Amino acid sequence: MPVIALSYSRLQKLIGKVSKKQISDSLPFLGLDIESEDKNLVRVEYSPNRPDYSTDIGIALGLQGLLGIKTGALKLKIKKSNEYSINVKSGVSKIRPYVTGIVAKNGKINEEILEQLIQMQEDLHMGIGRKRKKSSIGIHDLDKISFPLTYTTTNRNAKFIPLKSTKESSVSHILENTDVGRDYGYILGNSAQVPMIIDSNGDTVSFPPIINAAITTITTKTKNLFVEVTGINKEDAEDMLSVVVTILQTAGFTLESVKISGAKNSSPKLEPKKISVNPTLINQMLGLNLSTSKIISSLKKSRLDASIKGKNIICTIPAYRFDIFGPMDLVEETALGYGIQNLKPTLSSSQTLGQINPISIQLKSLSQIMIGLGYLEALNSSLSSKRVLYEMTNRNATKIISVLDSKSQEHTILRDSILPGLLENLSRNIHESYPQKLFETGTIFLEDNPINEKTSFAAVSAHPDANFTEIKSILQAALQTGFSLEIKTKTSTHETFEKGRTASILVNGKTIGVMGEINSKSIENYKIRVPVVGFEIHLSGLIFD
Amino acid sequence: MSQVFHEIEKKIISVLKTESKLTPEKLEKLTQLSPDQIRRGIEWLKLKELAIVNESKNTNFSLGKNGLESFQKGLPERRLLDLIKKNSMTISDLQKELGSVFGPAMGLAKRNDWISSNGNEISLKNYPSSLAGEKTLKQIGEGTISESILEKNDLASLLKRPDFLVENIVKTKEISLSKNAQTLDVTSSDSGAIDVEAKVPEVFVARTHPLKDTIDEIREIFVTLGFTEILGNMTQPSFWNFDALFTPQDHPARELQDTFYLDGISAKKIGTPEQIRKVSESHKKNWRYYWDINEARKMVLRTHTTCVTIKHLAENKPDEARVFSLGRVFRNEKVSYKHLVEFNQIEGVVVGKDASLRNLMGIQREFYKRIGITKIKFWPTFFPYTEPSLQTMVYNERLGKWIELFGMGIFRPEVTKPLGITKPVLAWGGGIERIAMLKYGLDDVREFYNNDLKWLRGATKCQ
Repeated sequence: MPVIALSYSRLQKLIGKVSKKQISDSLPFLGLDIESEDKNLVRVEYSPNRPDYSTDIGIALGLQGLLGIKTGALKLKIKKSNEYSINVKSGVSKIRPYVTGIVAKNGKINEEILEQLIQMQEDLHMGIGRKRKKSSIGIHDLDKISFPLTYTTTNRNAKFIPLKSTKESSVSHILENTDVGRDYGYILGNSAQVPMIIDSNGDTVSFPPIINAAITTITTKTKNLFVEVTGINKEDAEDMLSVVVTILQTAGFTLESVKISGAKNSSPKLEPKKISVNPTLINQMLGLNLSTSKIISSLKKSRLDASIKGKNIICTIPAYRFDIFGPMDLVEETALGYGIQNLKPTLSSSQTLGQINPISIQLKSLSQIMIGLGYLEALNSSLSSKRVLYEMTNRNATKIISVLDSKSQEHTILRDSILPGLLENLSRNIHESYPQKLFETGTIFLEDNPINEKTSFAAVSAHPDANFTEIKSILQAALQTGFSLEIKTKTSTHETFEKGRTASILVNGKTIGVMGEINSKSIENYKIRVPVVGFEIHLSGLIFD
Repeated sequence: MSQVFHEIEKKIISVLKTESKLTPEKLEKLTQLSPDQIRRGIEWLKLKELAIVNESKNTNFSLGKNGLESFQKGLPERRLLDLIKKNSMTISDLQKELGSVFGPAMGLAKRNDWISSNGNEISLKNYPSSLAGEKTLKQIGEGTISESILEKNDLASLLKRPDFLVENIVKTKEISLSKNAQTLDVTSSDSGAIDVEAKVPEVFVARTHPLKDTIDEIREIFVTLGFTEILGNMTQPSFWNFDALFTPQDHPARELQDTFYLDGISAKKIGTPEQIRKVSESHKKNWRYYWDINEARKMVLRTHTTCVTIKHLAENKPDEARVFSLGRVFRNEKVSYKHLVEFNQIEGVVVGKDASLRNLMGIQREFYKRIGITKIKFWPTFFPYTEPSLQTMVYNERLGKWIELFGMGIFRPEVTKPLGITKPVLAWGGGIERIAMLKYGLDDVREFYNNDLKWLRGATKCQ
């Protein structure tokens, strides 16, 4: 989850009359987890469904509501202007079909705001922009751009001076030689044409979703902004724009509209949506009995607007709250505005009868029996490695089930047997006193359209006098006591066990596993210094399905 | 200080009081104890600083094969001189008489000018009264003699001769009482008492794994709260792990870097045609993207046990239910002191008429109370498939801070409706290792899967 660094003093300025303690106490009840705190700085984690919390301006909006300083929905004031327009050419429709935008004027950009805007842009790109694939933003110095603009395509030889550079580069050069080019170039695929926003002088403004032109770079001297969002669908692009617009208006900019036309594009509406919710649903879901007016004031504290219409509450949701899908989201907004700390836990009077799963009961009995026989329970991962599962035990690796791109070398393959893990455990404990007797029950994985998960049971015994007879006695006792099962053993061979001291285990004529003395090769591989005996049987199909 | 003595100790002390500096062998005779009892008794007394053991090294000699022959018949040169003492003899007669020792005897006699030769005839010139080595031979005889009693030069002459002497280095112990022990009155101790303060050997119990104990405890608590346990597979089609839970196909959690996908394995059957159609419609409408059934078919290692409960609800559509699922879940993470790739999770649901967020909070509070956690609070949070969503924060005294434990919420209608679930569903769940860490006071979660016998044998079972 994304993390944002906040300054208490700046938040105090943004929110109004509020103490540092009130802020730090309220942050968690907005859904912001405090990661760390250091005097004036606090780092909080926010949920990706609330991109408006990617700036302190957005968080201040939320806190104002929660603290009752300013409640209700924020209304966007966008002056209709004919000065700014983007004409879209059909060439973009197969690559990145939609563009949208806004103009924000007469703001003060200091270092702090600049930092917040860059942070917001990054987080929007990573989160709802899905690493710029779905939508991406460019923020520009309005006064360096000559309108009207064209959103069109160029070939890969087109040249302009990209952000943070002083030299002209070609599109292909940018894609091959810059970090952003290498990271996001894949979004454009192999197409010969790439999207480009060009101004009326023919100068490049932006090469979405990769990089802006250097000329429109915003600095602390910039007064007026032009924001464009491009994307693969119109709604997502406008959602992202709505976050930026909300933040800029709150930061003190005056907004003016940009007219978008051509190739199925149109101007953004950025209008609030209305959702109707029944107060009964809210009270039922929360377990409360709130009056309609209390619900309305709670929703307002969540920075929404609400009014009564008949038996229902009509809620007005600003465009930037596109995380709200329907009435259940309003249940949550009510709870947040009401204050989660005010919800008191209760116990339901309804009666249901609980039951442990029969398989869990049987496995627990089996482990009690093994403990009675002097065996200690071990626990190993289901995800193991080629080394432990096959190399050390000399087993043939035929049908391996592996996972993709594991970050851990030790966890790459699903185990098809429990025994190798137990031997690995013994090898890690050679300095501990003997005898060492371990058992484990757990899931093993076999390939079978797609996967057959079986419960398996294995045990090992390691000490100077360990022998076949001992381990056969143990398994015989365990299955007899646990499940009244008689075992028979038949001479067999197995890569991990010593020739002549290996047996397959049969119950009612059906082979259920293998037992014997671990062969010297495996013992040497594991660097164990005493004889080891062991067995493994499949419980699935034997004592349960 | 009152001391308790073992019978063995008492006997040894009594004997040593009358005669000090005794070897273990002598102690054996005087106390009538076995060598093993003496050995143990001395060790105990040494530990109690009541006995002093002086160890010394002594070299003993006994006669070898040739030495014994010379002891019985005389040294070879002596035998030669005796043969010719009265009359001279021919070389061949002497060879017959002396056999293999003829050569060395002749050499010595010539060198020392004891004999003279005239052609084949050997006759006596001087007859020495004593020969080097004769004294030592006599002293040792058929016995064993300490080096200290023997004459150095005489001994040295025999040492040069092959197989005359057998050297035997003996370490001897002499035991005497320390000052403290000399005044002890061992007879006054209670007869038959043993040293109950002494250390005993360590034995280890066989036991269930400490993490399993926590799992069992949590399972039983929820059963007593009216929940029924259900089981499900660890390998799941993405459909049940993600799609059915309203997690869009381009959601970051679904990426390879967070979720384990099984290499090249897809499920043919993932759900009923209606389930698939309705889930895909919900995704298309709310998330606005092209929903790909092949993505939903990809098999993953479940990232939560919620896939098991949602499938159960979709199949049974109960009007009222309390069920939970408990088991391993997987995340593609770097293993560290706080992260494992594989850990245990419990996840449960409540379906019923009076299902509400406050009731859900009540179940949580009751659960925490039963595992001994009373200081808890709830914070809002976000999960893609619940709305509203909360997390429990519990206060840990040892760490002196609030720790995030179980998450909870009400399943979104976008999750339940497509699956035909009409009643509201409360859901809660979280990792078990975290609770077990608090319980066992661990700071490194990896400990649970190291199977380190020192820890497994030593961890306190009842906490």
